[in-house]
Amino acid sequence: MSDPGLLRLIADLGFLLPGLLNTLKVTGMALLFGVPIGLLLALGRLGGIRPLRVVCAFVIEFFRTTPPLVQLFWFFFALPILINVEMTPFIASVVTFSIQSSAFFAEVFRGGINSIDKGQWEASKAIGMTRGQTLRRIILPQAVARMIPAFAERSIELLKTTTLVSTVSFADLMFRANDLAQRTFRPLEVYSAVALIYFTVILLFSQGAGAVERRLARGSDTMAR
Amino acid sequence: MGYQWDFATVLSYWDVLLGGGLATLRLFAVTVTLGLGGGLVMGMLRHAGSPVLRYPATAFVELFRNTPVLVQIIWFYFALPVLVPFDISPFLASAMGITLNTIAFSSEIFRGGIQSMERGQWEAAKAIGMNHAQTMRRIILPQAIKRMLAPLTNRGIEVFKMSTLASIVSYPEVLNQAKLIASMEYNPIESYTTVAIIFFVVLFPIVQATYVLERRFGKSD
Repeated sequence: MSDPGLLRLIADLGFLLPGLLNTLKVTGMALLFGVPIGLLLALGRLGGIRPLRVVCAFVIEFFRTTPPLVQLFWFFFALPILINVEMTPFIASVVTFSIQSSAFFAEVFRGGINSIDKGQWEASKAIGMTRGQTLRRIILPQAVARMIPAFAERSIELLKTTTLVSTVSFADLMFRANDLAQRTFRPLEVYSAVALIYFTVILLFSQGAGAVERRLARGSDTMAR
Repeated sequence: MGYQWDFATVLSYWDVLLGGGLATLRLFAVTVTLGLGGGLVMGMLRHAGSPVLRYPATAFVELFRNTPVLVQIIWFYFALPVLVPFDISPFLASAMGITLNTIAFSSEIFRGGIQSMERGQWEAAKAIGMNHAQTMRRIILPQAIKRMLAPLTNRGIEVFKMSTLASIVSYPEVLNQAKLIASMEYNPIESYTTVAIIFFVVLFPIVQATYVLERRFGKSD
């Protein structure tokens, strides 16, 4: 294995780093939009207005049941024909994964909100809070703490799913790996290195999420006492 | 704006789409069967007492849970042929990637289900003379399976959606066929919308079923 080509290859792996940054950029942007949209969808689905409930439920189910790759192709190839916008791989990727992840985040929010005892809504109403106030002051602060594990899991799923953006030529980690593997004729080393990079990043994320979760669990324990 | 939707050109390729749909089903059938079956075995290995079994199983599960499935498929398609003396077909690469990924994820569901059973049942079964395997088969699994139904169905839904990734290594499943139609007829809107509708129509009733399962047997995903 000790050929000079291998040393060159290790240097070449530096070529992958901007790809990793782009992967994190798409993931971050999708989280930035996906989480608030998910919250709105969840509130719409749980709210009292029937047409809004049906629409939100439909959006959530549609984006949960269709493959993300089909959605990405649709936003990249089809949407620009329907509405006259210039679609870049980056915009298509952010739009797709914002909406796709929002459908899953909506379900996380819904589960979290539903897990809070109904008595709390009634108690807040009794002391004169509106629905919005109750949600903001009483329900969400408690629900969010319970949602952390599911939230972390969804975010990691999102990070993994962003590998699809390579298919519309957005230069993420996967795309740069394809490029490098073709130029160097060393698919085994390149793709193994890429798997290792994803593994490391995701493991760091899930360890971090686990630490946050444990801290919050301790916090709510002391509050309960 | 003012785009004229025309699904007729897509539908005139119904045989191409049908072929793609059958290829999708073939990939799904193989990966969901081997994936969930392997997941049960892997889940029991991770639950096993012997560290010789437990550690390799844990390493396998963590490796495949913490890397994207697309990386796995691409690895099997482009990297594995360097190591083995035979060609890897698009079907084989996709099936291996999706199956191993599904084994890793579903083994966690099986392990969780098995561990959720009360310890006393193991002890009671042992007291009346059952060995580990008998207890698992006769006592633990039949009860645990109820709690695992909803999360396992969700896994199945994920596997079905994952099958579209095979298009990236040119396996002629339904998305790949739609891509073909789109490039021949310049109708990406209708082609990709059709595929989205197909998946929605197939999976929507199944998702509704998981809600019923969750309500009946308790939420566990």
